Amino acid sequence: MSVLEIKSLTHTYTDGSPFINDAVSDVSFSVEKGEIIGIIGHTGSGKSTLVQHLNGLLKPTNGEILFEGENIWQKPKEIRKIRSKVGLVFQYPEYQLFEETVFADIAFGPKNMGLSGDELTRQVEEICRLIGIKEEYYSKSPFDLSGGEKRRVAIAGVMAMKPEVIIFDEPTAGLDPKGREEITEIIKAYRKSTGATVIIISHSMEDMAEIADKILVMNKGKLEMFDKTDKVFGEGSRLKEIGLNVPTVTKVFQKLNEMGIDVEKDVFTVSKAVEILTELKGRDNNA
Amino acid sequence: MLKDITIGQYYEGKSLLHRADPRMKIIWLIALIVLIFLAQNMYALSFAAISVIISLIISRVPLKMYLKNMKTILPILLFTAIINLFYGEGEVLFSIWKISITDGGVYRSVFMALRILLFILISSVLTYTTTPNDLTDAIESLLSPLKFIGLKTAVHTLAMMMTITLRFIPTLIEEAEKIMNAQKARGADLESGGLTKRVKALIPILVPLLISAVRRSYELAAAMECRCYNGGEGKTRMKKMRLSLIDLFLSLACIIIGAGIITLNILF
Repeated sequence: MSVLEIKSLTHTYTDGSPFINDAVSDVSFSVEKGEIIGIIGHTGSGKSTLVQHLNGLLKPTNGEILFEGENIWQKPKEIRKIRSKVGLVFQYPEYQLFEETVFADIAFGPKNMGLSGDELTRQVEEICRLIGIKEEYYSKSPFDLSGGEKRRVAIAGVMAMKPEVIIFDEPTAGLDPKGREEITEIIKAYRKSTGATVIIISHSMEDMAEIADKILVMNKGKLEMFDKTDKVFGEGSRLKEIGLNVPTVTKVFQKLNEMGIDVEKDVFTVSKAVEILTELKGRDNNA
Repeated sequence: MLKDITIGQYYEGKSLLHRADPRMKIIWLIALIVLIFLAQNMYALSFAAISVIISLIISRVPLKMYLKNMKTILPILLFTAIINLFYGEGEVLFSIWKISITDGGVYRSVFMALRILLFILISSVLTYTTTPNDLTDAIESLLSPLKFIGLKTAVHTLAMMMTITLRFIPTLIEEAEKIMNAQKARGADLESGGLTKRVKALIPILVPLLISAVRRSYELAAAMECRCYNGGEGKTRMKKMRLSLIDLFLSLACIIIGAGIITLNILF
């Protein structure tokens, strides 16, 4: 059974403005347990609106969201339970820190779920250990940390609820290359230890190629493509048409292909590229 | 829900009053409020009421908008009317226990309520026909004589503070919404519980909001300095406020209303 199933989801913003515009219109897809899904799309293509439906922050105008086969809006009073099962890390999550200590801030989510005492401490410590927040940081003020450290703490705050599905809205925005790599590592570590399903919104095609099993492409509120990563990046021209792009490596290989060199078109990671090029070189040497 | 907050009350339009100089509008408002106060009897007050109604009509703002304003001040209006009902002398209309209501009391009650109603209506005319930015500019211009008594920078600073405040209200609303969503995603419960619980639930929203407001103010200050902001010294305006024929005409109207109210005061 799919962990998440989205059935013809439509969301219309009408309040306050005379313009009726569908931020998300008639989107259907399903996510299997343990998958890593990347969502790409133009600014304003409805990516953020889409993911805010998955944990019940927004209510669909039309259509429904099924979590493990059950409509999440069946009991509107219990929508908070869904939020601990489907975690959502917003853009720039460090701006939501508020507690006096790092530990207390990370504990906010699990506390809201009703955990307390030893159980709470254990769960928070477990997450800190998993993603590398050292014990000496526990009693520090989150506002004294560096930008990258703050974001790590903020992400830990969502992970501490142990969600089965965790969604990241541009988790690496505004970080330096080292910071980006660290965040990617954290996401991988969480998934490895919990087997959680991961959904990531990102503008970095390279990051997506590196981590995602499947890519979902949004365009003007509609679902444009949803397929395996190699299939999606194999359609460079279609992505270009809607103002997106493919990873640089893929561009190089597509060009090589156009030039008449016999290489695959859907190469999207550097490691795969190295593999193919070494093989090609070996062939040339032998000839 | 936060999106429902309106800033100022400007109602887009092109009426005579929309086009009038905002400085003059403030002066007329003050003059009319004083005149409504000066009205001593029902005749004078009715005359003021007619003038107010005429200005509502020429503002071309739908009556619905004015009624919406009335709804919020209805409790104050009723309170004033009821309190005044018991003060007043004259023929007793009816009495319960030791409290008696006289015709003088009824008269007074209606008079006071009508007076407040007129204040609110005439003030709404100003806020509906003038953008918040025009209002601050006008206040700065009207207060500019203060520079002769050594408050030169104070006037500009005050006006700039008002402008920045107005400018940042929508930004902060948006920010607050984002933070609320983020905390809700962490399981925060903002909708249920008693008063103490609800107030406590605001901390995770207010702390980040305050921090971000401070951060923004530093950034804004730096950006303003980068663009050579020096506190209004030698600053010229893109949109200059100029008096026009409309202003002359409306000023005359104000004088006529004033003369009318004073005459009616003396006659009756």
